[in-house]
Amino acid sequence: MAKVEFKDLRVSFGALPVITGVNLSIPDRSITALMGPSGSGKSTILRVLNRLIELYPEARVSGEVYLDGQNIFDMNVLELRRKVQMIFQIPNPIPNLSIFENVALGLKLNRLVRGRGELFERVKSALERAQLWDEVKDRLSAPAGKLSGGQQQRLCVARALAFEPEVLLADEPTANLDPENTAKVEALFLELKKEMTIVLVTHYPPQAARISDYAAFLYKGQIVEWGPTKDVFTKPTHELTEKYVTGRLY
Amino acid sequence: MTAERKAEDITAVRMVINWLGLGLFALLGVAAVVPLFFIIGDVYIKGIDAINSLGGLRHFLIELPPTPYDESGGIGPMLVGTLYMTALGALLGIAVGFPLGVYIGEMRKEKFANVARAGVNVLVEFPTIVIGLFVYAVMSLAKEDLNQYLLGPLSNAISPLGEWITWFIGPLDGFNAYAGAAALALIMIPYVALITASAYASIEQPLREAAYATAGREFNALFVVLRKAVSRAVLTAALLGTAKIAGETAPLLFTALGNLYYAPFTGPTAAVPLWVWYAAQTPYEVQIASAYGAAAVLLTIILIIFIVARIRG
Amino acid sequence: MLGFLLVVLLIPYLIAAYGLLFVKLRWGLRLFGAFIVATIALLTAMFLVEAYPIIARDGIAVFLEARWDPVRESYGVLQALVGTVLTSAVAMALAMPMAIGVAVTINEILPARLRGIFGSLVDLTATMPTVIFGLWGLFVLGPFLKDAVNSVSKSLVGDEVMTSPYTLFTAGVLLAIMITPYAAAVIREGYALVPKPVEEAIYAVGATKFEAALIKLRYVRNYILGGFFLALGRAMGETVAVAMVVGGNFSRFTTNIFESGITISSLIALQFPNAAAYQYMVPALFAGALLLTLFGLAINAVAIYIIQRGQI
Repeated sequence: MAKVEFKDLRVSFGALPVITGVNLSIPDRSITALMGPSGSGKSTILRVLNRLIELYPEARVSGEVYLDGQNIFDMNVLELRRKVQMIFQIPNPIPNLSIFENVALGLKLNRLVRGRGELFERVKSALERAQLWDEVKDRLSAPAGKLSGGQQQRLCVARALAFEPEVLLADEPTANLDPENTAKVEALFLELKKEMTIVLVTHYPPQAARISDYAAFLYKGQIVEWGPTKDVFTKPTHELTEKYVTGRLY
Repeated sequence: MTAERKAEDITAVRMVINWLGLGLFALLGVAAVVPLFFIIGDVYIKGIDAINSLGGLRHFLIELPPTPYDESGGIGPMLVGTLYMTALGALLGIAVGFPLGVYIGEMRKEKFANVARAGVNVLVEFPTIVIGLFVYAVMSLAKEDLNQYLLGPLSNAISPLGEWITWFIGPLDGFNAYAGAAALALIMIPYVALITASAYASIEQPLREAAYATAGREFNALFVVLRKAVSRAVLTAALLGTAKIAGETAPLLFTALGNLYYAPFTGPTAAVPLWVWYAAQTPYEVQIASAYGAAAVLLTIILIIFIVARIRG
Repeated sequence: MLGFLLVVLLIPYLIAAYGLLFVKLRWGLRLFGAFIVATIALLTAMFLVEAYPIIARDGIAVFLEARWDPVRESYGVLQALVGTVLTSAVAMALAMPMAIGVAVTINEILPARLRGIFGSLVDLTATMPTVIFGLWGLFVLGPFLKDAVNSVSKSLVGDEVMTSPYTLFTAGVLLAIMITPYAAAVIREGYALVPKPVEEAIYAVGATKFEAALIKLRYVRNYILGGFFLALGRAMGETVAVAMVVGGNFSRFTTNIFESGITISSLIALQFPNAAAYQYMVPALFAGALLLTLFGLAINAVAIYIIQRGQI
């Protein structure tokens, strides 16, 4: 069975339907890209997967979503979020907390570590994997708000990695980064996919082509096409897909 | 214990703490609001009862207050005094508070505007008794000369208009309605100013640029074109400020002083809150009852203004 | 003559300011700004002048001693100062938790439909005339607190601790009810301004609603501090409600909150009617007013500074 399965997912905000029946399987230990023009519902799908959609009281969700065969809506949401972590489009560290505290927050709340020593080790290794450790190791107690945009995003990556999650959701994580930082993040994902499942939302088809193993093309709340990336990009079956991957549809 | 069980237990404990913690917050929040019901209930229950036993509502609103030995009475002079001083104070409060608010809201780049803003912030919740004392001090300082050089001759000049005019204009006593109104105005001015300032500050840049571009003179831009954008907030401020000063007691203690009779506004003037303050502290049943009646009337006035402001705003 | 000039020039000043608005807008506006600054300066100056007689005679002893003996023309406001501090302390200890509770309740616990009503109830509490609070305190809260406190103290220490319904403690509790909406308004506003991305981050790392509320409260700690000082300023300056329930103990010095006491503002309110008959009482009361002014200025300034600094 696939790591994540969506069965007839429908989401509407008030009277406005955003996702109108999505069936999708996300394989384990790979990068699946969700592509599509703005407003097609890509970010919404991500937010269903870690149930962050519940922060929006106007949102109505129906359908089933399975993680390793378990319905995520039957799970305790804290348990779900221990396994499914998210990186956002605009970096969102908690600005008044220190760099260290930002990464440590989830670990402390969920009692994932025992003792200061283990906490420090976990935070350090997360920051190292996010390629931020060298830049911040001397100022771990500085407020996170003082970091640059690229550094903040890597901090958010570290925050997610500290959980050693099974699924990593990335919502256009490089949209606001310069090419250098973008390359770093993409390289990191290629490393991470060996241990976890990555679902990457991107509005930039070349990125999907570069790093993803599977690609799904989402248009107006529906999956038009999905499959191995190579197939979707070189032999698309739908006209819309072809238009999108060649940059003629936005 | 397996790792899974342990994780479940930790989660369960966190959920319990979650419920307890949120419950505590809710309890504290409700505790903040519950006394309001007790107070309104107490005032209306005893107040309506008092009004009835003192002669009924119409009687209560017109008659003079009861002496310790009377069996009926009212708050007629107090209502008139409160109406007059509140109206004057509110008028002055808006007349000065609004331009002041425009100044500190729109001309923020000026150093002096920031000084004025600091001044307004400091005055806005200043102890009202201090404001009253200030007006008293100025009044005592100015009284003699004021009466001798200005008000004396003025009232002589206009006396042919009729005796009624001496109720409004004439030589001032140390305690008078105008001092009271001045104190009330001083309380309302910073309040209106702050709300006006933030109303102007929250106008989006595009609208502001459009106003300045189309209006020609800055005066037109600020007061004519942008007026619609801020008028709702400013009107609400005016209403709430009026409610606030209608209920004030401390600033009137040394300015209007209070009165038991219908009397000229150039002398000590009655006010509803002053009567509540005074009568509640006497040992006489009938006066305490009239204090509750007065409180009920005052509360009703405030509630009406508050609800109107809420509906319009 | 000076006073006369002050009053007489006020009307033309305001008319000129208004007129200038039409002609030279900016200068007209500046005149209004000057009005406020001049008022504060004048106020402080007048109090210094009025209080001068007793400061000239006794020096700062009037602030450091506790006595109120009109017959011997001997005055000190220390007992009132201590009373102000004690009632404010009790009030703040009760009000801050309630104010935070209001902010969290409105933003996290109540469904959307109830938020407006609840918020209006809190605002209404702030608009209520203080003399009505005093009335209720005099006849309802005071006697209730006396019974409640005494039954608790009787079972704890075997003694009835409150001998009168009208004590510093009563005033403190009443003040708490009155000032909570002021702190609540500031904290609530700040709390609602926590950005959505930050909120998403907090929940994404697996916080419960309670844990998230604590994190958000830490985020808005500037607003909490600001609300604290705003409420404190209000508590120290409140007059009539306190005067009606504090017990009117003018001369005896006490630090026991369960005894009758007096605060600076209630001292002024209750003694002023007598004051004209004595030579030094009015200056003594103005000395108290001067103290109150300085506190009011300092605390409000700190409150505004803290709130504004957090916003930048």
